[in-house]
Amino acid sequence: MKGFLEYVPGDSLLHRLNPVVKLIGAILFAVACFCTSNLVFLACMLALALAMSASCGMLRATTGLMKAVFVFSLLLAIIQILFTPSGNVLVQLPWGYIGTGSLLAALTTVIRLEAAAIPLFLTFYVTKISDMTNAAVKVLHVPYKYAFTFSSTVHFIPVFLNDMSNIMEAQTARGVEFDQGSILKKIGLMVPLCVPLLVSSVRKTNSAAIAAEVRGFNLRTRESGYKQYPFAARDFLALGLVVALLVCAICLSVLL
Amino acid sequence: MIEIKDFTFTYRESTEPVVKDVNLSIPDGAFVGITGAAGSGKSTLTYAMNGIIPHCYPGDFFGSVTVDGLDTCDTQLTDLSLVVGSVCQDIDSQFVASIVEDEMLYGMENFGVPHKHIEERLTRALDDMGIGDLRDRPIDSLSGGQKQKLAIASILALNPKVLMLDEPTAELDPASSVGVFELLTRYAREHGTTVVVVEQKIALLSHYADMLVIVDEGRIRFSDTPTAVLSHSDELLEIGVNCPRATTLMNRLAADGIYGGPVCRNVEEACRALAEVIA
Repeated sequence: MKGFLEYVPGDSLLHRLNPVVKLIGAILFAVACFCTSNLVFLACMLALALAMSASCGMLRATTGLMKAVFVFSLLLAIIQILFTPSGNVLVQLPWGYIGTGSLLAALTTVIRLEAAAIPLFLTFYVTKISDMTNAAVKVLHVPYKYAFTFSSTVHFIPVFLNDMSNIMEAQTARGVEFDQGSILKKIGLMVPLCVPLLVSSVRKTNSAAIAAEVRGFNLRTRESGYKQYPFAARDFLALGLVVALLVCAICLSVLL
Repeated sequence: MIEIKDFTFTYRESTEPVVKDVNLSIPDGAFVGITGAAGSGKSTLTYAMNGIIPHCYPGDFFGSVTVDGLDTCDTQLTDLSLVVGSVCQDIDSQFVASIVEDEMLYGMENFGVPHKHIEERLTRALDDMGIGDLRDRPIDSLSGGQKQKLAIASILALNPKVLMLDEPTAELDPASSVGVFELLTRYAREHGTTVVVVEQKIALLSHYADMLVIVDEGRIRFSDTPTAVLSHSDELLEIGVNCPRATTLMNRLAADGIYGGPVCRNVEEACRALAEVIA
């Protein structure tokens, strides 16, 4: 899981956008995806999201993400297919039926989740976390404590994942069969490992808190940040574009 | 610079004091090495000096610790941190950023270093630690030695009067360990900074430090110049502190009356002394 949600250096347009614009843009993009069920619009959003990821050379990471989101959305899709009978009857079930409408709804769910997830994840890959939080503090006046909580959380995800895989490797070396058997069996084996992971996490978090405190965490104010995050023309354009997308989505859902 | 008087400390979750009746005086500009067996209370002693005790770890605190005239109990941790810069043992959890430059900025931003001085201090601290070329690198891509130097540089940028390091070479190979100590001594000499290092590698300490403090079961057994401390190699061995082999050898020869010169701290000194004895 190395590199998960970690910044990848680069010089693409997305890299150069203002961090605040990227964050707000990604959120609005996701909101737009949830505002409408228009399949054509959602497909366009997905294509746009993929184009964005291609523009900053992140297609590989995006494919990995899409697979993960696909598995998750498939669960929802299956439930939708089985339990929301609509459209022409395709298969008769004891409690209802699977219709063309159910299939379409399921497809919509999958595409919607994929389209909404990509820009959010992309934001993390093309923005340094420190830039994101510093800009949020400077531009959006978010209190530093919350910004720091957020950045530490993201900072620690790979650390903890690493710890978990270290613990699992150590257990595998001592004969625990993590490398074979069903996923259920693996999960069963992982449960007892949560205790050592929790202990080491709490310890790490504690020393991180102390380290932050002795470096003046409590003194930090909005003016502390050294880097400035001015808005450029491209930032306004990007923001305009996502707002336009959101308006389109709302119009589609209201009008159609 | 640092005065510890009759200091005894018991962590809240234990009944036995970890550090007992410690008296220690560290002069301004000294390079002090603290060593001792694992669990002897070395780290607790440094926590007392940088204010983490009593501010972060509660417990029973007796005696007094003053740093640069500030009583650590009466002074806020943040104010103490302006005087004492601490590099933690677990440097991976010390890092708050993912890029070297951002990590360097963090402390300076917090302590309100005027923005016009930030650039100069940042480059100087990186250069002092010999990692000026790593400025834009992700921290993940650094080697253990480079990370350690970064952790130290990010504290040096704050211009502390006292620099406190807890096992700075724990995860480093011998060559990088020497490198870190070389840079530290040079920096301390140039800036008149007081340095306190907790370290297992006594050979390194005896070579670079002006003062060696040996902690045993929470008490200070020896605190003197490295040569004076190393002359007790047998007693040190008893409390689990291994002297450099050359020192042990020369001390044995001295005990047998074959050698009568000063204590040797390393192989080179021992070679020279032996050559003189043979001649």
